[in-house]
Amino acid sequence: MADSHWERVKELLHRALQLAPHERARFLDESCAGEDTVRKEVESLLSADRNLPEGFLDSPPLAPAAEDVASMALAADQIIAQRFRLVRKLGEGGMGQVWLAEQLAPVRRSVALKLIRAGMYDEAVVHRFRAERQSLAIMDHPTIAKVFDAGTTPQGQPYFVMEYVPGQPITTYCDERRLGINARIELLVQACEGVQHAHQKAIIHRDLKPANVLVVEVDGKPVPRIIDFGLAKASSADAAEPAALTRMGHFLGTPGFMSPEQFDPEVRDVDSRADVYALGAILYLLLTGSLPFEKRGPLRQPLHEFLRRIREDEPPMPSAKLAAERDTATAEAEARGTQVNQLIGTLRGDLDWITMKALERERTRRYATPSELAADLRRYLAHEPVTARPDATAYRLRKYLRRHRVGVAVAAGALLLLAAFSILQAIELRRTTQERDRANHERDRATRIADFVVNMFRVADPRGNRGSTTTVQEVLDRASAGAAAGLDKDPEVQADILFVMGHVYDNLGLYAKGAALLGTAHDLRQHALGPNNAKTIEAQTEVGWNLFRQHRYPEAEALLRRSVAEGRSALGPNDLITVAAMDDLGITLTEDKQLTEAESLQRQVVDIYTRTLGLQERETVKAMADLAAVFMHQKKVTQAESLYRRVLDLDRQNHAQEYPDVQIAENNLAQLLSDSGRNAEAEKLYRRSVEITQRVLGPEHPETLAAINDLANALSDEKQYTESEALNRQVLEIRRRLYGPNAPVTEGSVYNLACLAALTGRKDEALSLLREAVEHGYPADPAEVESDDDLKSVNDDPRFKQIVADARQRTAASP
Amino acid sequence: MSQEDPGRVTALLQKWRDGDVQALEDVVPLVYQELRRLAHHHLRSERAGSSLQSTALVHEAYLRLVGAQPAALNDRNHFIAVASRLMRQILVDYARARGATKRAGGNRIELEVVQDLPIANDAQLIALNDALEELCKLDERQGKIVEMKFFGGLSAPEISEILGLSRATVDREWATARVWLHRQMNRS
Repeated sequence: MADSHWERVKELLHRALQLAPHERARFLDESCAGEDTVRKEVESLLSADRNLPEGFLDSPPLAPAAEDVASMALAADQIIAQRFRLVRKLGEGGMGQVWLAEQLAPVRRSVALKLIRAGMYDEAVVHRFRAERQSLAIMDHPTIAKVFDAGTTPQGQPYFVMEYVPGQPITTYCDERRLGINARIELLVQACEGVQHAHQKAIIHRDLKPANVLVVEVDGKPVPRIIDFGLAKASSADAAEPAALTRMGHFLGTPGFMSPEQFDPEVRDVDSRADVYALGAILYLLLTGSLPFEKRGPLRQPLHEFLRRIREDEPPMPSAKLAAERDTATAEAEARGTQVNQLIGTLRGDLDWITMKALERERTRRYATPSELAADLRRYLAHEPVTARPDATAYRLRKYLRRHRVGVAVAAGALLLLAAFSILQAIELRRTTQERDRANHERDRATRIADFVVNMFRVADPRGNRGSTTTVQEVLDRASAGAAAGLDKDPEVQADILFVMGHVYDNLGLYAKGAALLGTAHDLRQHALGPNNAKTIEAQTEVGWNLFRQHRYPEAEALLRRSVAEGRSALGPNDLITVAAMDDLGITLTEDKQLTEAESLQRQVVDIYTRTLGLQERETVKAMADLAAVFMHQKKVTQAESLYRRVLDLDRQNHAQEYPDVQIAENNLAQLLSDSGRNAEAEKLYRRSVEITQRVLGPEHPETLAAINDLANALSDEKQYTESEALNRQVLEIRRRLYGPNAPVTEGSVYNLACLAALTGRKDEALSLLREAVEHGYPADPAEVESDDDLKSVNDDPRFKQIVADARQRTAASP
Repeated sequence: MSQEDPGRVTALLQKWRDGDVQALEDVVPLVYQELRRLAHHHLRSERAGSSLQSTALVHEAYLRLVGAQPAALNDRNHFIAVASRLMRQILVDYARARGATKRAGGNRIELEVVQDLPIANDAQLIALNDALEELCKLDERQGKIVEMKFFGGLSAPEISEILGLSRATVDREWATARVWLHRQMNRS
């Protein structure tokens, strides 16, 4: 159709429309002589106009939402279907209204009458429900409310008749009475039993949520009662389609209780494990006050995002979720008769694991039945080990190792690690020995490891040698020989031991020894467990990390890349072992100046940790510090600073300031600040670092001395020479005693004092101190002396030139 | 989003009006997201009898995105013109998704949303959308007018201002478009 043709049609049509119908034919006769096609088109449109419905396109496409319900116009005392007298409205939702009603015939009783929104469901729903009534009738359980009947009113209004349950939603009930965690769990256990009963009768609820799990009091004791059983299936659009929850929007209420497979178009057989998921979600809500992906407060996320996360993301553990929302969770804790930190502590561990297992996205990994979930909850209540618990020894050890890995290579750290390791094993041992009939392999292993560690400490009493590297090293040397000889019957245990010890060597800076043990551990695990086993990959990562610490970046990178790839495919992208490897790779790339990829990796690591562990875990915070380090390398000073500050804030919140890696973060931030000329702020951080190291590691620990040294330098930059000098002298004195008068590290202090003397105009003293330092090899590169601004005032002195010349000669002479 | 940069949408709209096509592309996702968010927000609030109309949503979206910034009336109209198009898209998507779930158990994710959206008749909405597409091929300006009036709830004077047409023209276009669309919908 040509434009001009249409324009002509429009014009004629418009004019014709202004005329009364009987005038139109004549108008067209007059106006379109010789324009047959135009006339035909106009006539066709005019005939369409005659059928145009009143108000066509006049109002916008969305009608008032509650029209149907409003049009029901129900009121008390009204009689529905000749035998139900409405008493009062119990509730109203998208699907219609629920009324408390009095049934008049054939029996007189109170019932809940659910009136479905007119037009939403056709009579087929009611037919289907009648067909299912048989199976519903055979359900007989104290925690299940009965569904009596269904029908349509003479006006075609569908309704369901159910047992009236004068209770409150389980969450409301618990919150209002401030029930503690155990009481809440007991209620959920009962609900699980009811659902189990229905499952045995082959009835799945499909829409479990707090509003459908009511609590009533029977003889003063709370009992859950589940309503709406059977309604979901009866109401589905197409009975032939088993997964047909398609028209269930209004029954579903909030989607947080729907299992991921119920959203998945590929899954056609939604089964009883969907109810397990829903029970898990209710459990989550009972424990924490919110759903896994729910956000508190005004910044609610769009629904589609919420649904996407349910399908794709790993939910945060209950304790992690609460910890992340610590500031806003006070009311939730109070409703559970406790305080936030205490509540987090209660949830952490068993309850985390149980909830996560019920909420597994993959239903094969969930509890297979509600009664399995109930059984694990009962075990929790009875202080027995729960089945949801992963390999706890390995998990805790892994966590512990990671926590201490970036630690400074100090003896105290190593001893602490070993001590903690043995304590941990002892606890584990007690837990497991309490459990007589539990599978015994783990227990044997725990015993053997514990014995081994205890023996190690018998060899050298750590108390007498606190802070002495040699002693720890001796212990380790002896022990590693023992591990090789005594434990070869069980290669897995042997690998575990070697792994720990290799790690401790690394922390002591004895990388060659560490490499040997870690390499052996990796080999043993590869043989015993296969290449794609979590522990094998973990060992491989540790070998890579060892290479990194030896500054063998390309080799480290290659190995860590392999760990990341294998971890991702064998364990999943969010597995802690995979993420740990990613973190290590990110750090390696940072040091190797591959900053773009490093940034992307560290961002991912931070993101995954934040989601899966929460902000209270060291891993998360440490990963943030690692990302901040990338920013620092990229010279993104503002970003680095703000992230470091966040790290330190979180550390404060988590009461973790005393960890060595926090000290590193603090130090980096201080350095960042003094680099950008903000000396006063840097000074504050340095002072705190000194205070903490002195308290935690002791006044003579190398880290403490390093911290004092840094503070002294910052003070010198601020021209506070007197205090700087005093601190340097203090450090020098201790170092002389500990390391000898001429050790390079000692001479570092001497050099600093030389600078201070130069800065304060004491030339002779400056030059004599400088000579002492340089002659003993500090700084290693004489060029540094020449370019040091602090020494400017003595630059022109012939003695200065002589010192530098001598140093050059010595450097040239040494290999 | 709205909290973050109320000025951004205004600036983009101004750029767009000054002939920067990229600005429109930049503004669309912002508006779309906000409209969807509003739709969800409203529909989840379950206030009995809450009357929800697409036009109200569009206006609310405008307020949220442009905020209390003093913006020329023109900007508002341009915004609403863009939003009308998006509202159409959103509503039709919903209707399609609902249709799909009925037929094939297809897109169940949208389902919860869809069920709550009280569109009178999905099939009609989809048919209207298809007819409107045909109309745009035949007469783009006329199609736009329908979009703004029906989906965006703009009045004839507002539309005439945005498109730079006389009131009479807009009235004529609207009257004839209705008829044409009705015939088209009944043909297919």
